[in-house]
Amino acid sequence: MSLFIDTQFLLILLAGIFTALAASFLGVFVIVKRMALASDVLSHVALPGMGLALLLNYDPMLGAAAFLILAALAVWAIEKKTTLPPESIIGTFFVATLAIGVLLVPDEELLKSLFGDLFAATILILTIILSRRLTLSIIASDLAKSIKARPDAAYLGFLVLFALNIALGIKLIGSLLMGALMILPAVAARNFSWSMKSFFSISIILGVLMMTTGILIAKYFEFMPGPSVIITGIVFFIISLLFKRG
Amino acid sequence: MNNESHENHQGHKNHKHSETEHIGPILEVRDLSVTFGNQEVLKNVSFSVNEGNILAIIGPNGAGKTVLLKALIGLTSYDGEVKWRSDIKIGYVPQRLPETESLLLTVKEFLILKSKHLFFKDKEWLSAINHELESVGLSSTILERQLKNLSRGQFQRVLIAWAILGHPNVLLFDEPTAGIDLAGEDTIYNLLRRLHQDRGLTILLISHDLNIVYRYANNVLCLNKERLCFGEPQKALTNEQIEKLYGKNVFYHHKH
Repeated sequence: MSLFIDTQFLLILLAGIFTALAASFLGVFVIVKRMALASDVLSHVALPGMGLALLLNYDPMLGAAAFLILAALAVWAIEKKTTLPPESIIGTFFVATLAIGVLLVPDEELLKSLFGDLFAATILILTIILSRRLTLSIIASDLAKSIKARPDAAYLGFLVLFALNIALGIKLIGSLLMGALMILPAVAARNFSWSMKSFFSISIILGVLMMTTGILIAKYFEFMPGPSVIITGIVFFIISLLFKRG
Repeated sequence: MNNESHENHQGHKNHKHSETEHIGPILEVRDLSVTFGNQEVLKNVSFSVNEGNILAIIGPNGAGKTVLLKALIGLTSYDGEVKWRSDIKIGYVPQRLPETESLLLTVKEFLILKSKHLFFKDKEWLSAINHELESVGLSSTILERQLKNLSRGQFQRVLIAWAILGHPNVLLFDEPTAGIDLAGEDTIYNLLRRLHQDRGLTILLISHDLNIVYRYANNVLCLNKERLCFGEPQKALTNEQIEKLYGKNVFYHHKH
């Protein structure tokens, strides 16, 4: 029995680590783009998709992914057309989708289905490939355009990865924790960092540490991993404040 | 001074560029108009630039100078015609970058962003970076410093290094010396002139400073939503023109 539990525990730990890797890398862009709260909001966008999929007898994650990708595309299109800040557009999605979501979603059953670590690894790799172009389009979209680097395409790619990452996180650790997993490693890492590269690296390290420590503590004391992962992240953040470089 | 630099440049061109020399201007602009909403920012602007020339674009604040540069490289939509010769490669130096604080970017990381490679394979590019830093008068010790900690003058040079990476033959400068003290201003223009001479670059620059125009530019374009003058500075930039452009007391009008 204990062997069975350990294998399952290791699988969860592994999935957690992969998710943390992807989320904390992407999280750097999320906080730089000032979209920290958007991750929570986006996770609610997934709810009606999941509800609908359950009603129609599909895997709820399919529904979530479809809705999140649609939302990302719509945000991108509306932002391009109106130049409204992304957060306000996402906020609009929030109220609409939350209302529908409350009506459609049954209960915790949603959080039980399983995804693959491959999914997280893919997000991580795509983010790495995108990171230079995305960085350039954030610091100076004019410079990006002047070398024909398509900043809007980079941003769209970012939004889609962002949405996929949240879809992954909802399945694995719940929507609440997913927001924290993106934000906390990155904000803590920023206080330790002296360059973009160190920013990414430290964020990833903190993300994995936070996830592993949180899950281990939860197993030891036998409570839910979600809160203990978040609290570990908060502790990292508080420690990072002591290291803040002027 | 102007003539001298022009001759130098011609000499250089005969050495290196003779087989790629083309007849006709490197840039031809006809009836360029830009509107934002229902606001007319540029109206029917026409001019041309010959290879190896320096064109200075002057005009009061809000005259549409920056918008003109942006239209020339397709950063903003426009009506009319912008015709670059087909073999050109443009380096663009904006006035400032919108977001340098939050990303903690170092000079090195910033310059790597211009590489075509999305990751790895940076060795060649790094040696190109070192080379261009040297040409803008910065030592490689600056590579590890963060953009946000640079002085305005150093930052301007880094932007210029960014622009000349990858060997463009045309440079567009949006007010190279905005916010730089007089001494720094002088060396930035010397740097521009050196780049112009050594590499045979065609340069379009926005300037507030009429002295600069007389000293460095082959041609000047006076702009205030529409073209007010165009030609050699000594001929085109008459006192009446200057007054028309900036109003009276022009030389005390250098607000940024």
